[in-house]
Amino acid sequence: MPDRPLSKGCYVEDDQDIQRIVRLSLEKVGKMTVEVVSDPNSAVEAMKRFVPDLVLLDWMMPGMDGPTLFRKMRQIPELSALPVVFITAKASQSEMEELAALGAAGAISKPFSPKDLPDQLREIWAKLP
Amino acid sequence: MRERADPRLVLADRVEELYGQMWLGILATFAIGAIATFEFWDPRMRDLVLFWWGLVLLVSSASAGLLYAYRRSADRTRQPEQWLRWLGIAALALGATWGFAGAVFFPSHTDEQQVFLAFLLAGMMSGGIPVYAASWPIFALYAGGIVVPFTYVLATFGNRLFIEIALLVPMFYAINVAVAYRLTQVFHAGYRLRHAYGKLTEDYSVLNQRLERQLGELEDARRQVEASGRKLSLFAERAPIAVLEITPEGLVSQVNPGAELLFGFAADELTGLHVKDRLVLPEFRGEFERQWQQLIASREPVVGLKIRTPRRDGLQVVCEWTVTPLVNSEGSLIAVIAQGQDVTRELEAERMKKEFTSTLSHELRTPLTSIIGSLQLINSGVLGDMPQDVAELTAVAERNGTRLLDLINDILDIEKIESGKVSLVQEVLRLGDLVREAMVLNKAFAERFKVRFEFVGQAPHGSPERTVHADRKRLLQVMTNLLSNAAKFSPEGGVVEITLYEHGTDLRVGVHDRGPGIPDSFRSRIFARFAQADSTTARQKGGTGLGLAISKRLVEMMHGRIGFEPREGGGTTFWFDLPRHHS
Repeated sequence: MPDRPLSKGCYVEDDQDIQRIVRLSLEKVGKMTVEVVSDPNSAVEAMKRFVPDLVLLDWMMPGMDGPTLFRKMRQIPELSALPVVFITAKASQSEMEELAALGAAGAISKPFSPKDLPDQLREIWAKLP
Repeated sequence: MRERADPRLVLADRVEELYGQMWLGILATFAIGAIATFEFWDPRMRDLVLFWWGLVLLVSSASAGLLYAYRRSADRTRQPEQWLRWLGIAALALGATWGFAGAVFFPSHTDEQQVFLAFLLAGMMSGGIPVYAASWPIFALYAGGIVVPFTYVLATFGNRLFIEIALLVPMFYAINVAVAYRLTQVFHAGYRLRHAYGKLTEDYSVLNQRLERQLGELEDARRQVEASGRKLSLFAERAPIAVLEITPEGLVSQVNPGAELLFGFAADELTGLHVKDRLVLPEFRGEFERQWQQLIASREPVVGLKIRTPRRDGLQVVCEWTVTPLVNSEGSLIAVIAQGQDVTRELEAERMKKEFTSTLSHELRTPLTSIIGSLQLINSGVLGDMPQDVAELTAVAERNGTRLLDLINDILDIEKIESGKVSLVQEVLRLGDLVREAMVLNKAFAERFKVRFEFVGQAPHGSPERTVHADRKRLLQVMTNLLSNAAKFSPEGGVVEITLYEHGTDLRVGVHDRGPGIPDSFRSRIFARFAQADSTTARQKGGTGLGLAISKRLVEMMHGRIGFEPREGGGTTFWFDLPRHHS
């Protein structure tokens, strides 16, 4: 368990509406600071600048999907240790296994409840080494 | 051929012949006896002559009586041996009568009368040959009766000439018997032939009748075959499906109008060509050839073979074929009948359904996520207080949004189950633990209806051996369905009882409610899709009408059964059985 509480999250998602809901959920319910990135291609720069505690990635995005972005992050020293949680609408057994193999910290299936999202993330956070 | 004659019938015929001649013998004895009586009349021997005449009358009338009895008898053919014996006795008696005459009258009469007697006896003996020709032993008896006493008298007379005659008489006797024997043989052969021929004629007429009957049957069969052939070709001709007759070499020999219509080729554009040249796409011809060889080798019908076929106009149709090799009674393949149904539209519909399902999955769920998420945030109060009316309406919106999402999830779920895309992750589970977990998971839901779950009977943790081989997540889904249904339909403040017990070789989980019960009219379709007894309940209490349908399929995938029954004192028990796992 990390020695500090979860307070900064970065969310990469192309859908503006979901962005807004997650931002409100994390800020208002979870009392966190949130940086939302719409374009996965600029996500690495944003993360380097913002230095979040945890990264939320959408699975399906135009241009670059979540797993690709995740692999790219692993190549970058400053970002390689960041815990990553996927938000995905498809949650079949094989995909969950794929996520675990990639070294993801967790997965939250769509549709999620914005009321419960911060608690879910804190639960994942608490289980981290 | 003679051996075909029945020997009993042959004997009966001979007996018949003998009796047929008998009246001649009787008449001759009577008439010649009368003449002899007149000739030998002598007042000195009055008693002896009268005695002999009486003997003639007695034997003649007894023989006549026998003849009469034979004529009247019904068992002539069945008892020929018996009648032959009686005839033998009669013949011996007749012969002996004349022998008696020879013995008593010969010594006491004049020379002329002796000549008369000898002549008489010789005549009587030789006359017996034709009369008894059908049976030489009877003739031998008859003639013996005449000859033996007469020969004895001649031999003992004391006259050299008479002794010489006495030596000659047995010789004549023997010759006569030999002639009779020959005649008997001739008669016998004749009768045997007659019977054999009769039997042959009989056999022939039976054979003839049988042949005629078989010819008739054959004709009927031919007519039937012709009729069914006409019927069959009519079926093929009018059928909306394509029917092809193909030779074992793969050449099309006949096509029906259905095939012409379906593929756009005229019949003569298809016949004579290899079936793959016109009706199979070039890239699939190799595969087709392989399957065709397999079909020819196995001679087993193939059902449900889908082949994409280019039409004459360039469009493609997909047909589902039923291919039947025709094998004749000698076991050789004569033709292959292929019946094809156009399934292009069905396949297109199937594809669209799949597309629609995946659209549902993503395109509907994404906006719903936003809608429900927004409403949840608003209703959670973190964004600030709202006027009462607004709060009520956003609550309605959230509830219905959730219901819509549930519905979509359930449709996707049942779609996946029915298309066989759900694979279970089966593991050995303690059923009691799973039931307890499901009760905890659904506690909050039940509380909304002010309903409590209660485990009745043995504690769920009590029996570690109560294990099943099942998919944990899917079984929880089934339990959730049953528990939430029970909670929804229970009266406020009610208790839903849950049981777990052994049921035969299975384990049975029961969920017992005190709800209104299942209406009779609804029982038969309770496990059907979108089944809800009362659509207003659905609106009030939620539910998609798919829960039980999904549960049934899931339980059956785990080799179990699901069912329900009315509960004593009101309410319903839903149960499912799963085979017990033995480690």
